[in-house]
Amino acid sequence: MDLCVDPRSPVPPSRQLVEGLLGAVARGALGVGDQLPSVRSLAAAVVLNPNTVERAIRELQALGVAEGRPGAGVFVTPRGPALARRRRRAQTLADLRRALRAAVEAGHAPETLGRRVGRWLGPTLHPAGEDPRR
Amino acid sequence: MNEPAIRIDSLTVGYGRRAVLRDVDLEVPAGTTTVLLGRNGAGKTTLLKACLGLLRPSAGRVRVAGLAVEAAAARVRRLVGYVPDRPDAWPWMSPRDLLRFLGAHFAGPVVARGLALLERFEVPPNLAFRHLSRGQGMKAMLAAALAHDPRVLLLDEPFGGLDAVGREEVLVRVIDALGEAPRTVLLATHDLEVAVRVADAVAVVAAGRVTALEAAAPDAEPALTPDALKAALERGPVPFGGIPACARS
Repeated sequence: MDLCVDPRSPVPPSRQLVEGLLGAVARGALGVGDQLPSVRSLAAAVVLNPNTVERAIRELQALGVAEGRPGAGVFVTPRGPALARRRRRAQTLADLRRALRAAVEAGHAPETLGRRVGRWLGPTLHPAGEDPRR
Repeated sequence: MNEPAIRIDSLTVGYGRRAVLRDVDLEVPAGTTTVLLGRNGAGKTTLLKACLGLLRPSAGRVRVAGLAVEAAAARVRRLVGYVPDRPDAWPWMSPRDLLRFLGAHFAGPVVARGLALLERFEVPPNLAFRHLSRGQGMKAMLAAALAHDPRVLLLDEPFGGLDAVGREEVLVRVIDALGEAPRTVLLATHDLEVAVRVADAVAVVAAGRVTALEAAAPDAEPALTPDALKAALERGPVPFGGIPACARS
């Protein structure tokens, strides 16, 4: 599992950790029934106060993505991956919308932008490995 | 949560007649870390020394683990681990010597636990402090402060004078100590990234005042980002009657 917390980010560390763990569940790095790392080992890995890590794990439980089993640990729920992916889809869509709005405000014509986005999507829809920035 | 592990009421303290801190209130709930953020000379060390009973307040009081520091300074010091801002052991001493010295003052297997910590922290126990790097020296001081397994830790700029690698090395050990057992920590630093990583709460020390950083909304956590902390640091002291340093429950 690849988790990183950047202390220079404008996003508070607890938020970063929640998003990082959701990402791991969405990608399948943490699968259904997988146990989350212990608070202590996760705190050591991302160099964060264990209380902050505990809060992040509690939030994952509140979202229904993970559940605690007394005496055993915290595990990814059966509906965890779907919930995490849905959240991730909503989030990336919101990000895309924000970026497009900024581009329009910067003077890009909406039609040209639309065509461009379509063209960028080409390489990901078709196997040819074209540079998406072109 | 019942009695906070550290409770400071209307504290005025300084050196001689000069008050460094005036009418300070602060509470650190048990098991949490409060970062004292402030520039050099702002009074962070003075506040920590008052918590240790090393300075006599001219007004107000400090309670640590429910004990009045002024009345029970010796007992308080046995409950507390303190790390100064530089390795302040004698240069000829080795970390093992330091532990033996401490072992005479504390009950329990202080030396054995301290040596185990030194091994975990990758500090050579038998090398004199003058031969240790600054980072190793600070890790040795942290091991010594943790040797009696204190529930309260007072850390005074433990990352000061360290390069990025040394800072990370010490920081990882502090995090490890927090994960090992519930500990209450008051940590003085001017390092925003350290604050972001370890703080449950932040209090800004400036111009003789201590002001807790507040969340934007009630029930929300204060925004622990470098920008928010920098802004708080630059805002400086809040005029009297401003944001209280702690919420009384």
